[in-house]
Amino acid sequence: MTGRLSPVLIGFAVLVYAFLMGPLIIVIGAALSDTTFLTFPPQGLSLRWFERIFEIGAFRRTMVTSFQVATLATICALIVGIPAAYALNRYRVQLPGWLSTLFVLPVLVPEIVLGFSLLRSIQVGAGFPVFSTLLIGHTLLVLPYCVRVISASLASFDFSIEEAAISLGSPKWKTFFTIVLPNVRSGVIAAFILAFITSINDVSVALFLTGPGISTLPIQILAHVEQFFDPVIASVSVLLMVLTVAVMAVVERTLGLTFLTK
Amino acid sequence: MLKRLSGWAMSAPATALVVVFLILPVGATIAATFAVGGGPLAAYVDYLSSGFRRTVLWRTLEIALLTTLFSVIIGFFTAYVVSRASPRWRSILIIAAVFPLLTGVVVRSFAFLILLGRNGMVNNVLVWLGVEGAPFSMLYTEGAVIVAMVYLFVPLMVLTLVGVLENIPDDVIQAAASLGATPPQIFRQVIFPLAVPGLIVGAVLVFTGSFTAYATPQLVGGENVMVMGTFLHQQAMVTFDWDSASTIAAIMVVVTLAVVLAMTRMARRLNPMAT
Amino acid sequence: MTAPLSLANLTAHYGTTKVLDDLSLDVGEGELVSLLGASGCGKTTTLRLIAGFLVPTAGTIHLGETDLTRLPAHRRNIGLVFQNYALFPHLSVLDNVAFGLKQRGMASAARAERARAMLARVGLTPLEERLPGELSGGQRQRVALARALVIEPPLLMFDEPLSNLDAKLRVDMRVEIRQLQRANNTTAVFVTHDQEEAFSISDRVAIMDAGRIRQFDAPETLYQRPANAFVARFVGFENLIALEARRREGAIVHAEGPGGISVALDQDRLGAIPDRFTLATRPDGLRVTAQPEAEGIPASLGLRTYLGRAYHYQAETPAGHLVASGPLSRPLQSGDQARLVPEAEQCCILPEGEI
Repeated sequence: MTGRLSPVLIGFAVLVYAFLMGPLIIVIGAALSDTTFLTFPPQGLSLRWFERIFEIGAFRRTMVTSFQVATLATICALIVGIPAAYALNRYRVQLPGWLSTLFVLPVLVPEIVLGFSLLRSIQVGAGFPVFSTLLIGHTLLVLPYCVRVISASLASFDFSIEEAAISLGSPKWKTFFTIVLPNVRSGVIAAFILAFITSINDVSVALFLTGPGISTLPIQILAHVEQFFDPVIASVSVLLMVLTVAVMAVVERTLGLTFLTK
Repeated sequence: MLKRLSGWAMSAPATALVVVFLILPVGATIAATFAVGGGPLAAYVDYLSSGFRRTVLWRTLEIALLTTLFSVIIGFFTAYVVSRASPRWRSILIIAAVFPLLTGVVVRSFAFLILLGRNGMVNNVLVWLGVEGAPFSMLYTEGAVIVAMVYLFVPLMVLTLVGVLENIPDDVIQAAASLGATPPQIFRQVIFPLAVPGLIVGAVLVFTGSFTAYATPQLVGGENVMVMGTFLHQQAMVTFDWDSASTIAAIMVVVTLAVVLAMTRMARRLNPMAT
Repeated sequence: MTAPLSLANLTAHYGTTKVLDDLSLDVGEGELVSLLGASGCGKTTTLRLIAGFLVPTAGTIHLGETDLTRLPAHRRNIGLVFQNYALFPHLSVLDNVAFGLKQRGMASAARAERARAMLARVGLTPLEERLPGELSGGQRQRVALARALVIEPPLLMFDEPLSNLDAKLRVDMRVEIRQLQRANNTTAVFVTHDQEEAFSISDRVAIMDAGRIRQFDAPETLYQRPANAFVARFVGFENLIALEARRREGAIVHAEGPGGISVALDQDRLGAIPDRFTLATRPDGLRVTAQPEAEGIPASLGLRTYLGRAYHYQAETPAGHLVASGPLSRPLQSGDQARLVPEAEQCCILPEGEI
């Protein structure tokens, strides 16, 4: 590069990154605290607040629900999203332009409005069970990520490979599974991971779609914080950060994290 | 014709999902606001006639605008440093920005409870420094909400802009240098104008995100700093006034879509790379 | 404005890899010199060193009296034309051209006037309000050229400027570049991998390989009298045959090689021939003849290809695999035994060991 970065700019960036990392480090510290109230720096180290998470039934249950919803919603979104992404790329000329806008609508409509509207029309209005409505909400929430990430990897896919396979006698539907899907595998993995993490972290949609016995982990955290202010929330947060790190490691392996800046 | 059909067929499930479970329910919510008694716009007249409701709307707009402003400024200079760093440092810095982004909103907002509380770290430091009046109550103020939201959105802004800045070809910058432009001149005359469309896109993401946020204002602002998101939740789930909740939802949709449409149009007009 | 360019003992590294090895080069005032070679030969590195985008690990760069070696890029005052044009996408054609003048603090009206005059010279006056994205490749190239010329630099440099243009436009543009460079009498360095382009446009050409200059001469000299095997192969002398002079009769040297190779060479046409040397020929400089008693290189013919003006034959000989040519009137068959006779105008003599 021409010229060096000015020290003022570098100093600024260092401060910004300290600002980004600091609060997360403080949460980790608080989680390791031995005291019964939240404080930093921790006074005495212990892992007891991690044990405490699993002693509280509500955390155990909501964790299970969150994982179920995230997994199912992601799979549903992939099942409808992959063919849609394929159609958008393969039949670009034949399909109208607004179709691709349609699949990013869930991003444009505020999540909290989506959650409220699903409660109003689908859960109460159409009488859908709580869990189904939650699953529908999260499928919609993650659909744009699936369509966008898979579209991006299909954009660099050479469709003449598919035609070559068909000309060699492979049926069209089979070609999709033997030729197209393996070539966008890393896109599917990335979409899965982004969708999963988005669902696990969601508050605004789930806010309205929880019911008796059915809640998600973030909603449970919110409820807990409003009543108690103890380090167990910090330890749950650390568990979620560990999950994030694991997810980042997988993304880094499959795609490289820099794809997120594209 | 056959191609057209297979294209439609393959996108049909996703289309149906979005139409049935997004467009119809959200449309119904908005339509309901025109059906309340007393004329088609009665719900909105009613909304704006209440001082408290007006305050919530203006406060939310103010918080969203300030959050956007700070995130854009902080994000732009940080992204500039990241995009000009050596490849090794660049990936480290990108990872360091992705990590908070993938960590949930609840966790990151919760961090500010620990940080800004009466026994929080900031107050502990202020007390230790012997600052007069410490500890202060910083939580449950508009300032706390803005700081926490800037914290929330800076990584998004950095990642968006790193992509934009990296897309500026090296040889364009070198051409400017070869024509006698000093590094500050290159920054002002070449890099900044080329980043403006990306800045707008990032600003839209931050504005719509902070305008419709729930978790952060709820945790860090509480009842004192009611915003559209928390207000919607309160009307829907605490007072069960769904007409009022629908009106709030409709206002959020209209503001969000208007900002998105206006700004993307502007970004497209300003984008010289698009032609 | 013009000045001679002098590179002395330049060495450069990318990380730990040495990409330029003790390179020295002098370009005279108003001279156009091409750096020619395959990708990775160091030609672009040399250009980037002169432009100031890279810092050499050793050596100096002088332009006239000025030592450029440590000067920042924006103070070198060199006109650069990039391979991808590198136009500022957000500025109009006029503002692109005026950019350098603006950095020099010229008033708005004056620089517009200068930029317009320059645009007129490259024939782009009607397009001055356009953005680069709205121009064709050739038009962008002209804007890039105008932008580099308008600052009246003592040195112009071109980095593969024509490689993105189609064949016809490429020829037109190189004539145009040469005329503008001549008219201004500006010293110029031109980087390319295209031999025809380099030879047609340059006063002198430096053929580069592995971070070094293998030969620096006028195009005619390079084409007819390469100094070593690398340059010989580069300019098309595909056949290299190690020979020994056995008998000298006036200007004629009778030389022999392994396996009954026996050729007669004319020093009046090939220059002085030492006792041990390498004969380099182009395919057209090795004529196939079926007459068994003739002098030459015994060969067994392989694949024949039709080139319009002649046939080329793949041939197995005691000197290895060679490519020779034969007339259209008497085509020979694969498997035929023949002799290959060197033709002086498509041959040259290399020192012993250059093979």
